[in-house]
Amino acid sequence: MTRALMACKCLAILVFLGLITGCWDRKEMDDLALIMASGFDITDDGQIEVTLQIALPTGIPSAVQTGGSGKKSVVVLSAKGSSASEAAGRLQQQLSRILYFGHRGVIVFGEEYARHGLNQVLDAFSRLPESRYNGYVVTSYGSTAKEILNQPYQLELIPSIGINKMQSSKMGFSVKIDQFLDALSSQGRSPVTSAIRILHKDSDKETFSIDRAAVYLGNKLSGFLEPDELKLLRWWIGETQQVKFTIQLEPEEADYKGTLGVELLQSGIKIRTAVKNPIPEVWVSFHALVRAIDNDTKLDLSSSNIMKRVETQLSKQIQTEIESMLVHVQKNLKSDIFGIGEEIHIEHPYAWKKIRSKWTDIYPLVPVTVDVNIDIERTGKTQTPVHIKKTD
Amino acid sequence: MKMKLTGIQVFWMIMIMDLGMTLVMTLTPSLQAAKQDAWLSIIVAGCIALLVALLATQAAHLYPGQTLIEYSQKILGTWLGKAVIVIYLVQWYTIIPIVLRQFSDLVQIKLLQGTPKEAILLLMVLLIVYATHGGIEGIGRCSEFLGPIILFMVCLALVASTNNIHWKNILPVYADSGMMGIMGGALAPASYLGHSVEYLMFASFMSQPRKGAPYAFGAVMTATFFVVITTMMVIFTIGVNLTPSMWYPFFEMTQKISLFGFIDNFDAVPVVIWIASVFIKLSVYLFIASYGTAQFLHVRNWRSMLWFIAPVIFVFALIPQNVTEATTHYLNHYWVPFVLPVNMIILPLLLVIVGKWRQPNRSTPAS
Repeated sequence: MTRALMACKCLAILVFLGLITGCWDRKEMDDLALIMASGFDITDDGQIEVTLQIALPTGIPSAVQTGGSGKKSVVVLSAKGSSASEAAGRLQQQLSRILYFGHRGVIVFGEEYARHGLNQVLDAFSRLPESRYNGYVVTSYGSTAKEILNQPYQLELIPSIGINKMQSSKMGFSVKIDQFLDALSSQGRSPVTSAIRILHKDSDKETFSIDRAAVYLGNKLSGFLEPDELKLLRWWIGETQQVKFTIQLEPEEADYKGTLGVELLQSGIKIRTAVKNPIPEVWVSFHALVRAIDNDTKLDLSSSNIMKRVETQLSKQIQTEIESMLVHVQKNLKSDIFGIGEEIHIEHPYAWKKIRSKWTDIYPLVPVTVDVNIDIERTGKTQTPVHIKKTD
Repeated sequence: MKMKLTGIQVFWMIMIMDLGMTLVMTLTPSLQAAKQDAWLSIIVAGCIALLVALLATQAAHLYPGQTLIEYSQKILGTWLGKAVIVIYLVQWYTIIPIVLRQFSDLVQIKLLQGTPKEAILLLMVLLIVYATHGGIEGIGRCSEFLGPIILFMVCLALVASTNNIHWKNILPVYADSGMMGIMGGALAPASYLGHSVEYLMFASFMSQPRKGAPYAFGAVMTATFFVVITTMMVIFTIGVNLTPSMWYPFFEMTQKISLFGFIDNFDAVPVVIWIASVFIKLSVYLFIASYGTAQFLHVRNWRSMLWFIAPVIFVFALIPQNVTEATTHYLNHYWVPFVLPVNMIILPLLLVIVGKWRQPNRSTPAS
């Protein structure tokens, strides 16, 4: 009896050992094709073209060797199909390793595809178990996603790691895939992504730059924000590292251009909304503490009178910039990228219930009043520019 | 001969049964019904669960040292008592396969997509049979050990998510969902937080049966507190536009965690929480089911029931076709409309009222 019991126990242990190894899902590094970035384009006949940037096993940067070495470190493959998964399936047939999306850090939407509407591929981002939300979404500007992913980049071995670092450094505008999906599924906000373009095309200095934002209406790209407008968008959403403004303070002279550059230190906005009649009203007040970073005038920034004048002029000029950006976004692109609808939802939840279904039609008509208040907190180490000849 | 449980062990057992499953399984129905007010729903659910705990402890303390199987027949008479027991047996025999299946579904969806579910199920069934074979005392000790780990892991996931917070996600409070939405959202978590009803069964194993009530209340309150905080965190971090269509929002929240640029993908943390709580919950239920069945059928050795129940639950767990059947249908068609009102509130209430009414008539209180 005891012997039978012992045998049972041993058998149970063996079964356990066999089961807990999880061998069915064994994935060796050697069997995986690590996808660093994927891109989506549309072809002329309406098919989807998927481009994958796959890290070459030998090209993965080690601690010793970083930076471009001229050696190829990625493979870029493209395939067409009626859906993204079909195209990915075709790519899989060209590979000896299993496609693995767990490390994908960048998703590129081709401009033309984005204008056409993105629904076909979006679902897979949240449905696939191994797909994570920490990847960044960028939209290509003036090129296809395929061109972007085929673009070599000097500073990093793997170009998409370059894109990923540019996005995660917070020096520019960045949107993660979950933020994008969140805005897309929200009634009171339109999605926006950063936009990437290729610089110095057809020369040997080709590289990319992320200096614009792609504005969506629903799941369709409706237009781009220029670099100047992007700064204001970043101020609005509170990502204000490295946001700088240069304003014309005095008329241009022979020696001086009359400009002053400032950088945002602390900033914020306050939004108030009112719903009296069917069309809501919105007031936005921008405030910021800035520091002067370059002074190309003869002005002495230590004098409080001059400071006041500078501050007023600064506020006024930025106010006009914001107003013109609002006209562009609100009247031309018609996308609520600032989440004004969400603000109305929060402040007037009951009124919002009545207007939310018509929000895309109402939004372009909403009057937005802008008010800017800027204080200079620091002026750097100097008062007047030090190289100015003292006259007295 | 009797196995003994301490108050602290009871606290951890109920806490784990309530916390882990509620966190993982019931946030979605709440978020669907109440959107950003889901945390209010959880508070309401916590109050319902406290009521359940109150009724269960009151009923169990009428006849300390006896299990539900014994005292329900004493209180309600043989036939009515037996009917009540059958209702509970149905609950126990269905919840075990469903939880097993939910466990294997989640493991397959999130972790091991290639592994056949039979293997995952078999592993868990063997494990809980082993744990249950040791008796309730062993399960109590396991809970005592795993409970603090689970709480620590929940706190870890919450703290690590703090840099993803968007405060505005929780606004506007109340206006959108209203009373109906909040109440509707409270049902699913209430039915999961109401697992303290099983106190009816295991109160008899406590070394001091009459002193168990504070531990049961404490467990329900602790679990509710953590579920409320976690729900708020999920709303703060992911928002209510996406969460209602996710199966496991708590998991998604931990996947978003990214600290200092190199601590990424906290997936392992909720897996620990989940597996540990499923293990405790299944063991407790398996114990209750086998012990209860044995008493009900007057089988002398309750352990022999295990060899019958284990294959049955394994086969039953294979029946649901997909996640929707295992999770949503069971929850919406049996657990919320039937178990929550009948097994968790009406029957314990009946036991308390009839028991209290009959007790003064007896010359000596049973103890």
